[in-house]
Amino acid sequence: MTLVKVQKLTKTYGKKTVVNGIDIEFGHHKCVALIGPNGAGKTTTLRMLAGLLKPTSGSIYFESQNKTPDIREFIGYLPQYPAFHTWMTGREFLTFSGKLANLSKEEANKRADELLKEVGISREAQDERISRYSGGMKQRLGIAQAIIHKPKLLILDEPVASLDPIGRREVLILMEKLKEEMTILFSTHILNDAEEISDELILLNDGKVIESGKLTELRKKYQTTVIELQVDDDITKYVDRINNLQAVLNTKIERDILYITSDHLNNARKEILNLVLTENWPVTTFSINKASLEDMFMKVVNS
Amino acid sequence: MQWMTLLKKELLENWRNKKWIWVPLVIILLSIMDPLTTYFMPQILDSVGGMPEGTVIEMPEFAPAEVVLITLGQLSSLGVLIVVLITMGTITGERKSGVSELVLVKPVSFWNYISAKWVSFLLLVWASLFFGILVHWYYINILFGNLSFTEFLTIFFFFGVWLTFVVSLTIFYSSVVKSTGLVAFFTILTIMAMSLVTEIFQYVLDWSPNNLSDYIFESLVNGEVVSDLWITAGITFGISLLLLVSSVQIFKRKEMVIS
Repeated sequence: MTLVKVQKLTKTYGKKTVVNGIDIEFGHHKCVALIGPNGAGKTTTLRMLAGLLKPTSGSIYFESQNKTPDIREFIGYLPQYPAFHTWMTGREFLTFSGKLANLSKEEANKRADELLKEVGISREAQDERISRYSGGMKQRLGIAQAIIHKPKLLILDEPVASLDPIGRREVLILMEKLKEEMTILFSTHILNDAEEISDELILLNDGKVIESGKLTELRKKYQTTVIELQVDDDITKYVDRINNLQAVLNTKIERDILYITSDHLNNARKEILNLVLTENWPVTTFSINKASLEDMFMKVVNS
Repeated sequence: MQWMTLLKKELLENWRNKKWIWVPLVIILLSIMDPLTTYFMPQILDSVGGMPEGTVIEMPEFAPAEVVLITLGQLSSLGVLIVVLITMGTITGERKSGVSELVLVKPVSFWNYISAKWVSFLLLVWASLFFGILVHWYYINILFGNLSFTEFLTIFFFFGVWLTFVVSLTIFYSSVVKSTGLVAFFTILTIMAMSLVTEIFQYVLDWSPNNLSDYIFESLVNGEVVSDLWITAGITFGISLLLLVSSVQIFKRKEMVIS
């Protein structure tokens, strides 16, 4: 079932087109990553979906739209640099957000309590002014305020970009948990994060969707295998022998490591290992690496 | 419900950033400065010295209504400036810092968002003015002569209408303009332009908001509220409401985030 359907979404500022006719569609309980280099139009797209910016043209359809015209009821949003009323305490800000989302006073208090626990803001910090919070705590508070009214769609703009490795891990675990209750759409330029938790990817460049689909499908589509070979000798002596093999596409040497690209892993492995054994090469490393999302990304962006 | 949430937030914010303390204090100070300095001027001049021996300082006797007019002049310049200063950042500041992004992404009605701010600043300004005029009234009575309670209410209420207009104008510009500095600039420019236009076309513009202070004075002298004051106050309040409604209409059409 479709939760969100975006058609021909476009945003221009003067002559500059930031988002250029993108189509996106996804269903319930999905984790969708919006990937793209800086300036690709990720934030603008997310802001339009959250109702903060008006599209120049195109349409955004939400499943529950027929019931109420205000789509903001179904959306939770965390901007890249969330700013709070820093004179409030974390708890106050959460109840304030809850009441703005039309929760009753009791509900808002209850949800605030639950969420402070869930996102891991310590008991002492809960009633401290937000101005004293660390970056990680603010980010977690930001997620808490975004989900206080149990939205169907949670939009996160670069949720982990500004965090240290520990904070990053915590937020990713939290997102993993939230996935069960709602659809998460998040943007990132850190491909590992996308790889780790998303089901679907949307690659954005220059305001256009250049590729999208399930992670596994995209992998298959763009997959090439890279074999790493190291020898206890001058590697250049062996390059020609490798190049002559049938299954090898090309090779390159970087810091004494030979990278062999092939689109036929089984054959390449057999031929290379055969060579190694028969000619008794002094091999120290032989490893097979699947192309990372980053390679795929580079490939798609550059093509 | 949502409106009350927003109003409570505004009141709490102005309490935590101490506006509820310093604004009444400054208004009180402005309100008693003129009665005191006017009354004690001979003594002040005397103790500062520098006068030739035997100089007799004779100050004109002031009627209570005249001192009120001087103070209203003070409140119309410095007081208005303070009202503009405390109100100007209320929307632009939130937009600039990005807090409005978190607030307006919730299903918040724009009318609630802006009118709650309007009411919260009116409460602060009216409360400050109440204490200011109350203390002013007290000093007039002990230093210059009798001023009745009704006259106190007249001064407080009608000058409050003028400050209501100032708050509305500031909030109007705050929802239209992007930067806080420009809000102050445009608000003060508008008030100055209005005062100039009122001055030039004074025979036509009988009921310009800028005339409120003069009509308050006239009412005190006449011993009853002149009809011009009622009409002018009504018009001023009407313009204030109009400004509020148009702020909401304009704000609705704007992008919620500055990019």
